[in-house]
Amino acid sequence: MNDHNTVSTDVLIVGGGPGGLSMAIELANRLREKGVEKKIMLIEKGSEIGSHILSGAVIRPKVFRDLLSEDEYDKFPFDSRVEGDDVVMKLSANTVTKLPFHPPYMSNEGNYIASLGQICKYLAEIAQDKGVEIYTGFSVDEMMYENGKIVGIKTKDTGVDRHGVKQKNYQQGTMVEASITVLAEGSRGSLIQKMIDRHDLEGENHQIYSLGVKELWSVPEGSIKSGAVYHTFGYPLNDKEEFGGGFIYGLSDNRVALGLVVGLDYKDPSFDIHAAMQIWKSHPEISKFIDGGKILEFGAKTLPEGGWYSIPKYYDDNLMIVGDSAGFLSTPRLKGVHLAVRSGICAAQAAVEALISEDTSEKSLARYEELVNDSFIYKELYPTRNMRAVMHDGMLIGGFKIGMQLLTGGSCLLRVPHMKEDCNTTQRVALFKRLPFAERFKGKLEFDGALTFDKVTSVYHSKTAHDEMQPSHLVVKDSVQFQRSNIEKYGLPEASFCPAEVYELHVGKGDKRSLRLHPENCVHCKTCDIKSPNCGIEWTVPYGGNGPEYTYM
Amino acid sequence: MALTIISLMKQVPLPSEMRMGDDGLMDRTKAKSIINVDCSYALEAGLQIKYENPNAKLIVCSMGPPSFEQSLKRALSMGYDNAYLLSDRRLGGSDTYATGLAISTMLKYLGFGKGLNEEFIVLAGRQTSDGDTAHVPSQVAENLAVPQATFVETASLSKGIVKARRIIEGGYQWLQLPVPCMLSFTPTGIAPRYPSLAGAIRSKKTEIKILNIDDIGLADEKIGLSGSPTIVAKVSNIKSERAVIKLAKGHGEEALVSSLIALMDAGKNKLEVKDSKKIKERKRPDGFEEVDFRDGSRGILTWAEIVKGEVSRPSLELLTPARHLASQLDEETKVITLLIGKDIRDLANVLIAHGSDEVIVIDDERLEEYRILPFSSIFEQVIRQRKPEIALFAATTAGRDLAPRVGVKTDSGVTADCTELDIGEHINRKKKTIFTPILESKRPTYGESKLATILGFVCPQISTARAGTFEVPIIDESRTGVTEEFTPELKDEDFIVDIIETVRGESGLQNLFDADIIVCGGRGTTDDSLELVKALAEELSVQGVNAEWACSRPIVDERIVEYARQIGQTGKTVRPKIYIAVGISGAVQHLAGIKESETIIAINHNAKEPIFYHADFGIVGEYEDILPELISRVKDGFTFGVKNNKKDEK
Repeated sequence: MNDHNTVSTDVLIVGGGPGGLSMAIELANRLREKGVEKKIMLIEKGSEIGSHILSGAVIRPKVFRDLLSEDEYDKFPFDSRVEGDDVVMKLSANTVTKLPFHPPYMSNEGNYIASLGQICKYLAEIAQDKGVEIYTGFSVDEMMYENGKIVGIKTKDTGVDRHGVKQKNYQQGTMVEASITVLAEGSRGSLIQKMIDRHDLEGENHQIYSLGVKELWSVPEGSIKSGAVYHTFGYPLNDKEEFGGGFIYGLSDNRVALGLVVGLDYKDPSFDIHAAMQIWKSHPEISKFIDGGKILEFGAKTLPEGGWYSIPKYYDDNLMIVGDSAGFLSTPRLKGVHLAVRSGICAAQAAVEALISEDTSEKSLARYEELVNDSFIYKELYPTRNMRAVMHDGMLIGGFKIGMQLLTGGSCLLRVPHMKEDCNTTQRVALFKRLPFAERFKGKLEFDGALTFDKVTSVYHSKTAHDEMQPSHLVVKDSVQFQRSNIEKYGLPEASFCPAEVYELHVGKGDKRSLRLHPENCVHCKTCDIKSPNCGIEWTVPYGGNGPEYTYM
Repeated sequence: MALTIISLMKQVPLPSEMRMGDDGLMDRTKAKSIINVDCSYALEAGLQIKYENPNAKLIVCSMGPPSFEQSLKRALSMGYDNAYLLSDRRLGGSDTYATGLAISTMLKYLGFGKGLNEEFIVLAGRQTSDGDTAHVPSQVAENLAVPQATFVETASLSKGIVKARRIIEGGYQWLQLPVPCMLSFTPTGIAPRYPSLAGAIRSKKTEIKILNIDDIGLADEKIGLSGSPTIVAKVSNIKSERAVIKLAKGHGEEALVSSLIALMDAGKNKLEVKDSKKIKERKRPDGFEEVDFRDGSRGILTWAEIVKGEVSRPSLELLTPARHLASQLDEETKVITLLIGKDIRDLANVLIAHGSDEVIVIDDERLEEYRILPFSSIFEQVIRQRKPEIALFAATTAGRDLAPRVGVKTDSGVTADCTELDIGEHINRKKKTIFTPILESKRPTYGESKLATILGFVCPQISTARAGTFEVPIIDESRTGVTEEFTPELKDEDFIVDIIETVRGESGLQNLFDADIIVCGGRGTTDDSLELVKALAEELSVQGVNAEWACSRPIVDERIVEYARQIGQTGKTVRPKIYIAVGISGAVQHLAGIKESETIIAINHNAKEPIFYHADFGIVGEYEDILPELISRVKDGFTFGVKNNKKDEK
């Protein structure tokens, strides 16, 4: 071992999102209370804290009151307080029906609209003031083991060319030894994916995901009130085929955050969520909010929405998992921030006890699970544990069933519902009997560059960038199978579902079809890792500091 | 004493974030800051030299506001041992001359210089993206009285000898320098490494030493506006001369190429020019005193750079602005050209025929190739003797190396890479004086978005002129002029830098200047060693079009193509009717070399590449798909609207 390249800490947190940062803050607070000095280090792959953070976001503030002191909470960077009731609209191609009520689980009274990226920046400042060491722009691609147990991580080697050959500017990654390693990678973490098998962490169900595509606009005065919250369902999604809906939030300074969230368990191999969002924006009930405005940012991110049964085991010897990485997301509300923060708090409590007793074994860290089960995480997630499964019945019937679940404490199904992994729900082109995406929306797929955009333009608005001198961070696991199956039989669904034009189906002379990869466009949403048929693609982490540069997402 | 490697570094706004706002102005307010790209290559070069000299100490120095600390921290996390920042409000307004003085004074304060610790080398970026002058390295070297090699790509140091590969027009040169010396790096060598986490942790604990001008013992009047021989008198916007690109639409190469042809058939992509507002002529104020600050200095001095025994084209071009300036000054004004080399006396007539009134010849076999120390010494001697009011150099790698060093020797400021030169006047309303006549040197800046007018108040007023901007004057064999010999005093020390090897490709490749269509391949076309790029040019030639192929800098770096075919700032400026950029990203240097083209067509798989913001038509696609399709269309008679000579003959 080269000492020059090895550092050590007591707690290492991988990922600077709400879960990781909350844990760091709570840890620092509790250690100080107990007068124990321990080193806390947090590593983030984005060039800055917040660069890779994307959320709606309407946020429940309560948990931040628990985490922060009054002074700290007073300066919290909420954007605007939700004003009035949410408006829920059911869209069809040309009409809109405003629902006279909204489901109780969707109420946003007392909540705030915010940029989660800005919140994370603020939390990072607080954490640093408390002595947490934060390093941004470093990717972690390896867990380190000793005698079969996790002892830390290693950051990614840099200075390697496209073929993996070390260059003159090669820089070996740094090993970080830690008593406890906390994975807070967010949705579909690339380290956690590797570990789920190795450590047998999978929950009762596979995790399943949605993809959210979001835009931030600057709009003419009077287009929307700050604090206004609208949700839509229906058009352009087909109630029985695609689970999801749209959101429109009024922000300060005449800005609007809007987006479309769609479950990745759909069947159409040509379904394109980015295009669906553009079509959705063209609906007069949506376009009226942004007409005459200018797009500021674009981004996309997946969210784990399998609910209670999809939560993996989130601790092991010297290991803890928090936030979206652990699947702590409330499916009916599509809200995970408050749960991520709460999980960070619970994990910190358990970690402090473990550090003081100098026992960071699985048995000791099991305390984390007890704390989660005593917290509102359990209270929110358990009653809706069957929620996502019933959505296969369509939004309205499904919605009714959710209501029943809430009344009956979630027990309307007798067994754990089985859910297929998202990579197994796509149908082959020949087997998919409904209208494919392009025919379903014929005439609506020309984007005008003012209100609607093609993917390349959207990628530009995400400010994403990747060093081209590195091996592709998107790995085709088996190129022969990929050609035979994903391309020939499925028609390369990756080209449709990827919101950032990373995958291109190239049709050459003689109808020769092949994959063209553009990893430099990637916005780190992880959809390909989730949805590619046969799990054909592995998303690995590129060099630190690469990826999108979100500022107010 | 162990070797110290000193890297000079500047922090700049991220070039890609320097976007146009709605008003057409550069929006720099939101720009993130980075280490200037050229400087980051110099930082890496230092780390590479450390591999060969494990006991060397690495220090990084910068001058600027406290916000520069973040970039110094990054340098520390890359592996530097110590960092120093010269930060003082009084430095505001310093031009390159004052900056060079301040930095060299800081280095002397840190103990490095002649008569002090001499076991050091200074590394710097060639130029900064927000200044683009390439002056400071030469100026620091002159102030420290150490030899220099600028425009260096790679360098090594062993046993006290530095070997550096320097870019020159159409080739490169291996130089051997002693320690101490100064090297400035182009961003074409070894790319800067990513910091390691261990390095970042170390850097957090390393304190950055902040110095002010009192610390280093520099007087107030030597820096800032008062210490600067030049001022920026005016900055105006350069309006883009190109309309927004028209992109081919469709899926698959057939559709894309058909779409391109349809777009081109629909006519040129012309910019709708709105009536520009008339600029108000500012009235010349009454009662102001006219000041002739030249103090008897008269005449315009130019340098005739010799390449392969001939006067280089940019040096001939230089005579166009020289004559223009002479005509604006009084009738007595002479254009004096300095001709240095071996067996070059006969070339004096060429210069006179192109516009020189006087040619000063220095014929010395040691001066066959350009070398900074003797040439700058000769210029100093000639300037002291002849007192020219203006000195002009072509902005070649040699001219940009030489001019700033001469500037320090004569206490003059330098304006880099000018595209317009005029005689004007400067009105100082505070002092109620009008400085006239004065040289107005205009140069594009901020990524070619602005045109800055720079004035110098010390004679000679020195400027370098961008190659390819001015026309070569028409030859007039009947012109007469004076030729005289000059014997400079040269010391042995002036020859301590050895030229080990000079490599130049076929000179010029004249065809590129004359071609109607140029197909140029960039980094993205290396997979087939430019075979398709060549094939397209070839097919166009078969169709009777005057077509040539060329390449961008990275292709030459990878030794796929000879230098003669390179286009870009250190290559050449071309002006064909149609320029087809294949797999070219659009680095600023390359764009400068092609912007005179009538129509630019970009083909690149990455729609985010800057080339698409500077082209008239574009196809987003892989060149391996698009070019074969284009070639087959050319076979069918499509020639991008350029006349087909063969058919015309019929």
